[in-house]
Amino acid sequence: MENLDWLIQGFGQVATPTNFMYAVIGVLLGTAVGVLPGIGPAMTVALLLPVTYNVPSSAAFIMFAGIFYGGMYGGSTTSILLNTPGESSSVITAIEGNKMAKAGRAAQALATAAIGSFVAGTIGTILLAAIAPPISRFAVTLGAPSYLAIMLFALVAVTAVLGSSKLRGAISLFLGLAIGVVGIDFLTGQPRATFGIPLLSDGIDIVIIAVAIFAVGEALWVAAHLRRRPADIIPVGRPWMGKSDWQRSWKPWLRGTAYGFPFGALPAGGAELPTFLSYITEKRLSKHKDEFGKGAIEGVAGPEAANNASAAGTLVPMLSLGLPTNATAAVMLTAFVSYGIQPGPTLFEKEPLLIWTLIASLFIGNLLLLVLNLPLAPVWAKLLRTPRPYLYAGILFFSCLGALAVNVQPLDLALLLVFGLLGLMMRRFGLPVLPLIIGVILGPRIERHLRQSLQLGGGDWTSLFTEPVAIIVYVLMAILLLMPLILKLLHRSEETLLIVEDDKDQREKAAQS
Amino acid sequence: MIVIGYSADPFGRAALEHGIAEAKLRGTTLLVINSTSGEAYVDPRFAQSSEVHDVERHLNECGVEFELTQPVGVDTATELLKAMGRDDAELLVIGIRHRSPVGKLLMGSVSQHLLLECPKPILAVKPNEG
Amino acid sequence: MTTTDDAVTAKPEKRTDKSQYLVCAVLVAVGAFVIFDALTLEAGFAEVDPVGPKMFPAVIGVVLIVLAIILAIAIPRGSVGEADAGEDVDPDAPADWRTVGLLVGIFVATILLVNPLGWAITGALLFAGTATVLGSRRYVLNLVIGAVLSVGSFYAFYSGLGIPLPAGILDGIL
Repeated sequence: MENLDWLIQGFGQVATPTNFMYAVIGVLLGTAVGVLPGIGPAMTVALLLPVTYNVPSSAAFIMFAGIFYGGMYGGSTTSILLNTPGESSSVITAIEGNKMAKAGRAAQALATAAIGSFVAGTIGTILLAAIAPPISRFAVTLGAPSYLAIMLFALVAVTAVLGSSKLRGAISLFLGLAIGVVGIDFLTGQPRATFGIPLLSDGIDIVIIAVAIFAVGEALWVAAHLRRRPADIIPVGRPWMGKSDWQRSWKPWLRGTAYGFPFGALPAGGAELPTFLSYITEKRLSKHKDEFGKGAIEGVAGPEAANNASAAGTLVPMLSLGLPTNATAAVMLTAFVSYGIQPGPTLFEKEPLLIWTLIASLFIGNLLLLVLNLPLAPVWAKLLRTPRPYLYAGILFFSCLGALAVNVQPLDLALLLVFGLLGLMMRRFGLPVLPLIIGVILGPRIERHLRQSLQLGGGDWTSLFTEPVAIIVYVLMAILLLMPLILKLLHRSEETLLIVEDDKDQREKAAQS
Repeated sequence: MIVIGYSADPFGRAALEHGIAEAKLRGTTLLVINSTSGEAYVDPRFAQSSEVHDVERHLNECGVEFELTQPVGVDTATELLKAMGRDDAELLVIGIRHRSPVGKLLMGSVSQHLLLECPKPILAVKPNEG
Repeated sequence: MTTTDDAVTAKPEKRTDKSQYLVCAVLVAVGAFVIFDALTLEAGFAEVDPVGPKMFPAVIGVVLIVLAIILAIAIPRGSVGEADAGEDVDPDAPADWRTVGLLVGIFVATILLVNPLGWAITGALLFAGTATVLGSRRYVLNLVIGAVLSVGSFYAFYSGLGIPLPAGILDGIL
């Protein structure tokens, strides 16, 4: 199979000494930063984007792959040792993981999380390698109208996530679209919304927006509410697992992967749902039900696997269609753009070596994680002693450094500040961040596609609806948008859809006790 | 009442032992303060619940009347000085660690600050060698 | 419904109400700006480009203003955006805007000083300043770490990545 050839070539690329070093650096950096609560993998990648400016693209992507998975592993380490999850997808891990740690089984918890992440990551990456190219090939056959429909669907999906405020999602989205307008109009060459500043004619660098919204906004928000309370940390030696732990873990690993990957691949899926579902499932299927809530290893194995598989899954739409479905994927996409690589279905055709190198480095990064992080777990725990002022001062420092590195212009710092304040405002008023970033990334592309499609269609609006895929996608979109109304008619709210499992669970528990 | 500046390391434990000895000698009560600035996620000097239980049990066994507080988000020196400002506070017991001049410049020295600022007697101890 | 009920339910929501109007104001400002800017553009080649350069921004602007109106209506009805609760966020404490203001001030100072004074100095001041504002009282250590970071990054970016950061008055020494 041709793809296998490419994959082997990709491995070849990663195997060079310099690139391997990049992989190791990526994994270490990703884990170190992932361990620190309050800094998610999205922010890490955003802060490191400027490093990629003069580094060859393959090296940069190799590093990003390491950061991607490393960040997730770091987050689960923290949630097990500290009971304060590094990010929302680690919340479930914290439930059982921390209890295990308190019972003196921290080593086993960490081991099952690490190995489960490895298994899920490997399977997920294999699936990615298998599924993404065919999707990509199919997508290439689609005409501009269908692709336009898919992009619009991605916008709607990100905004209309189940259980969140559609109004606020829409506000974020349109703010993002407005930011995307800044620049020179590609067809007529006129500057739009550039305030007369020539430096803005290329548009606002997406890197600056990403760093400002994710890093600076977060730092400013935390500054407004700095918590002063150390948490209990559990001392831990090297992670390892006993035989019965292995026996209890391997099936949850596989089940977790099965849950996580599809959710990650679908827009509006997210990583929280699959971990939650995995937890519920493991609880139901477990022969050690009474241990749940006190430290059941299945409760760590399943959700962690789901977490990692979902991360691999989000790469499917990103690599095959150029559509980011979560914040980290969105930031990685900006890295693509900054290299002048156009994300989209043609990615596999135009830059096969790069993509397959990225996929190969995902495998390698996964392996490195296991090899490096298991012994290093106590070291990561020590990182947690960094005082918060230094942490956030560091974030602000590296944000400014990164922004300055883009063009060596203080103007970029001013933009950083402005958008950082925007990020602060969004966090204060509960405006979701993801729609904004997606709006900035996809807005200009959608406009370009729309106008090009109309050009090709001779200016006829109905040409947008001529392809069957386009029509199907529009229908799906309409359903998603009208979901609240439909639910109301059925006399249910979105929240009940999500917590149906939980209710049944509680009744079971009450019945048992 | 004797104030003890406690931390979850040999220095704090040394201070505790000497403080207990003094309290017995003088026949007075103990106020054990284990504070943290709360700046870091993890503060190794902040006593965790298991250690707190051990300390309380130890104090109970010694038969000394005591109070153990763990204020969070405060500066240790300020907190200890505040405690010494109480009328019934007669002695402050702290464990001191060696700080080179550069170390003092960079990281400050709580002990030095206390020694200079506290108007009442201070007993500065070191853990036993070996 | 008695009037006391109204007063009780209205009061706790009133505080968040007013501040959310800030979002409405921002939306209206951005929307109006985008529309105004679009109007100054010349139309495109209408035949093949019926959309033209104006439509997208104009639509976005209009939607923003509509959203602002919807939000303005939703606020008195108690619509509240859940403020982001991260790990380091203590939702019970009142917001410390003074700290944020100081940080913004340091930021502005950095913007103004980075070219004349160079990154090596400004970066160190940035780090030390923000660390101090955020609560670290070890002033000397803050400066030392800041200096190490800024000088280190200066050289790293220059030799490693080929990006010359501003050298400012230290030009020639570094």
